[in-house]
Amino acid sequence: MMPSLRSAAVSAGLCLAAVLGACNRAPPTPGMARGEALFDTCVPCHGAEGHGNRELGAPNIGGLPQWYVEAQLRKFQLGHRGANPFDTVGLRMKSMSLALDLEGDLESVAQYVASMARTRSAPVLTGDARAGQTSYQVCVACHGPSGQGIEAVNSPPLAGQSDWYLLAQLEKFKKGWRGTNPEDISGATMRPNAMILDETAMANVIAYIQTLQ
Amino acid sequence: METLLIQASSYAASIDGLILLVLVLTGFWFVLAEGVFFWLIWRFRAKPGIRSQYITGKEKHLKRWITIPHALVLVCDVFIIIGAVRVWYDVKQHLPQPDYTVRVIGQQWAWVFQHPGSDGDLDTADDIYTTDDLFVENDKTYHFQLTSRDVLHDFSVPVFRIKQDAIPGRTITGWFHPIRTGTHDIQCAEICGIGHGVMAGRIHVQSASEHAAWIAEHSPASAQ
Repeated sequence: MMPSLRSAAVSAGLCLAAVLGACNRAPPTPGMARGEALFDTCVPCHGAEGHGNRELGAPNIGGLPQWYVEAQLRKFQLGHRGANPFDTVGLRMKSMSLALDLEGDLESVAQYVASMARTRSAPVLTGDARAGQTSYQVCVACHGPSGQGIEAVNSPPLAGQSDWYLLAQLEKFKKGWRGTNPEDISGATMRPNAMILDETAMANVIAYIQTLQ
Repeated sequence: METLLIQASSYAASIDGLILLVLVLTGFWFVLAEGVFFWLIWRFRAKPGIRSQYITGKEKHLKRWITIPHALVLVCDVFIIIGAVRVWYDVKQHLPQPDYTVRVIGQQWAWVFQHPGSDGDLDTADDIYTTDDLFVENDKTYHFQLTSRDVLHDFSVPVFRIKQDAIPGRTITGWFHPIRTGTHDIQCAEICGIGHGVMAGRIHVQSASEHAAWIAEHSPASAQ
């Protein structure tokens, strides 16, 4: 065989082997490395440090507990969150959650998010924290006295979360964009608590949450 | 082409026919040109004792190898242009009277659909909103009002042979007439961000009774 033909045959063989190898690739191993790789798709909205982006409605997620991140990703995947046609931000997140379709991906990215440093966002809203402290007493049972969250009742930490995001979520619960799916038990628990708050009460309780460490 | 992808709208077959016409005409000329090309290479291959010649191609008997096929290709172009204009007019420029109108809203990375309720009119209290699932009645003419909430998207229903850009700030009206019941894919055919690949939906083409039952079941309680 001529040298050029031989090299062409070898190249073709290598290409075929590469294609077949790619087709038969083993699923990625779940864990931090996989989570870090998956997090690349979160960066455009949540930022490389997970600080969030108010313009896009993407919350500060870095350092949130793994169980909470997993639970929310599952809610998005199941349509418990982000399914309302008017919830533009939620719809965006729901679609992205569906990309976590390999076994262990959801847990891996949640593990990576939980490993990030939790940073506080500067407040952008105003409210009466003193008045909000009174309203917050209703929240203590689930979210804890210092807003640290309680896993046993599926309640997330509130301290350190951006005030604009907390307001957006309270409004979504009140409007029925969250917490109305019959299968979303924890959402259904939160919704009536949001419904009793008017605009001022929401601003006040959020102002108080911003004082929690 | 029906065997590759079903034709589920009234104009899918005419679009396929146009694509087939282009394929056959360009395929014929491709095969012929390649055949002549390789025949010439073989016919005038290097032979011992024969020197190569420089040919300008200006002589009449040589130039006709270009002019005659050129004229014939132009004739084929006329057939393609006539077919293309007819299909373009039918699908894009002609807007038949609708039985119903739906609103299609693209956003990163989901489709939101606004259906008329039992009154058959859009923008009334009984409108039904869905995400990623569009429900239509078979054998009815629909107008769709296509908009985008953020960036460029493209409303593509392959079995209908629809592919229409959605542009923020603009409402684009198009139409379709489903001719087959069943559930078919909707996709975004314009790169629209990191979630573009998961921006998929479904169109459910239902019989009249199924669609009426769906409307009755999903009409907002406040409108009943």
